[in-house]
Amino acid sequence: MLGKLIKHEWKNTYKFGLLMLGAVALITFLGWLAFQTPMWNLESGRMSWIDLLGLMTLLMYVMLLFAAHCGVRIYVGVHFYRTMYTDEGYLVHTLPVTKHQILFSKILVGSLWLLFFCIATYLSYFILGVSMISAIMKDEYSLSALWREILPNMGDFLRGFGDALGLDMAWWLVKALVSMVVSPFVFVVTLFGAISLGQLFSRYRVMMAILIYIGILLVNGLLGSLFRSFMSVDSLYGLGGYLDYSTYVSSIVNLLMAVAMYFVSWYVTGRRLNMQ
Amino acid sequence: MSGLIEISGLTKAYNKSSIAVNNINLVLPRGRIIGLLGPNGSGKTTLIKMLNGLLTPTQGSIRINGQPVGVETKARVAYLPDRTYLSGGRKIYEILDYFCDFYADFSRERALGMLQNLGISPQARLSTLSKGTREKVQLILVMSRNADLYVLDEPIAGVDPAARDYILRTIINNYNPEATVLISTHLIGDIEQVLDEVIFMRYGCLVLYTSVDNIREQHGKSVDAYFREVFAC
Repeated sequence: MLGKLIKHEWKNTYKFGLLMLGAVALITFLGWLAFQTPMWNLESGRMSWIDLLGLMTLLMYVMLLFAAHCGVRIYVGVHFYRTMYTDEGYLVHTLPVTKHQILFSKILVGSLWLLFFCIATYLSYFILGVSMISAIMKDEYSLSALWREILPNMGDFLRGFGDALGLDMAWWLVKALVSMVVSPFVFVVTLFGAISLGQLFSRYRVMMAILIYIGILLVNGLLGSLFRSFMSVDSLYGLGGYLDYSTYVSSIVNLLMAVAMYFVSWYVTGRRLNMQ
Repeated sequence: MSGLIEISGLTKAYNKSSIAVNNINLVLPRGRIIGLLGPNGSGKTTLIKMLNGLLTPTQGSIRINGQPVGVETKARVAYLPDRTYLSGGRKIYEILDYFCDFYADFSRERALGMLQNLGISPQARLSTLSKGTREKVQLILVMSRNADLYVLDEPIAGVDPAARDYILRTIINNYNPEATVLISTHLIGDIEQVLDEVIFMRYGCLVLYTSVDNIREQHGKSVDAYFREVFAC
């Protein structure tokens, strides 16, 4: 049954997901356009109306990408609320499946779309970075030449950077990658938990869900700060150690919060469900 | 022999001053069409929601086929809510796929036959259909299951008299004779001819549970007339 739930959840969301990925592609194209103006050629030294247009396009890139990020997150939350706690929930909650299966399918699909969106955004940043380097590079250099120059020295560069910060950069990058993959799941579980907690109120359930989510973010930040305050920069072997510890603390606090919020969702849907 | 539905001490209170269902004890047998009748706010829909696991009882228990409300009972209960629970963006054949996937007792052939009888195309998107047609589609989905219990909440409200007849015919012709059909409605006169038994509810309490024949014999009245007498304002 879990496979069927995932299949139907995917079918319900793929159109919006693809639309948002298409939007990122379009926004990235805008960003690329911004670097096609002569302004970025540092030797030209003059600015024209087309350069101004380029700058505005770049600003639009930032704003649109931010809006798309917000849009995807809001969609994931609204879709969960709509299919679980409004009229559509009458179908979902009368299916012969367990609450764990329902929650797992929704968390998995929502998180995957968010993860795809994050990957698309990083790709967009990369394309924008390459466009910028291409734009400011002098004519006698090519991007591939630059890449050939950087790649063999990348290891030394990372090692040197890590030594300066007091970090094992390879290990740090692995952790950053894991964190990038896990963070959409943590976000989705926490959001769903907040929406489910909102259902415990007899009135203003949506508003209460939003307030609870904001409360969770505040508690999360507070707990992270509390743990971080136990250690000073000096006692953790420099800035790198502090950053490393800080990342650990945030990850653990977020994960614990996500586990707690999953069980909140399960408890509300299983033991305290009150469909209006 | 135990009944299909066993309700014991069932209470649902939203808060101290609002008790929607109050200490109901009831055993419903198999193979009957039972009307769940009562004025607005008498607790009919609350009781139905608890039977389907959409509301958590404050006290008491429900057992269907000897099982507490859960995965096993949901596989055997076909529920028609008093609202549209299908996403408007979906096409009818996609909804049929959905029901086929989740309900082992769902018959696609039966559903397609009923859709054809009503001239509803499986390719139609739900959002393009009228409210009445959407209600018919939902009823077709429910009655295309070979369930032990059919729970229909206001199945004939909001549709024209011709559609009411079709819906009642659909219920009678498609339900499994070993199954029980529990119908909640205000339109008693329209469904009276199909009912075997009735449950009267008022202020969340059970007022009466008896057979239709009993009402006719003992009171010399139709269910509709007796209902008006019992619930006279």
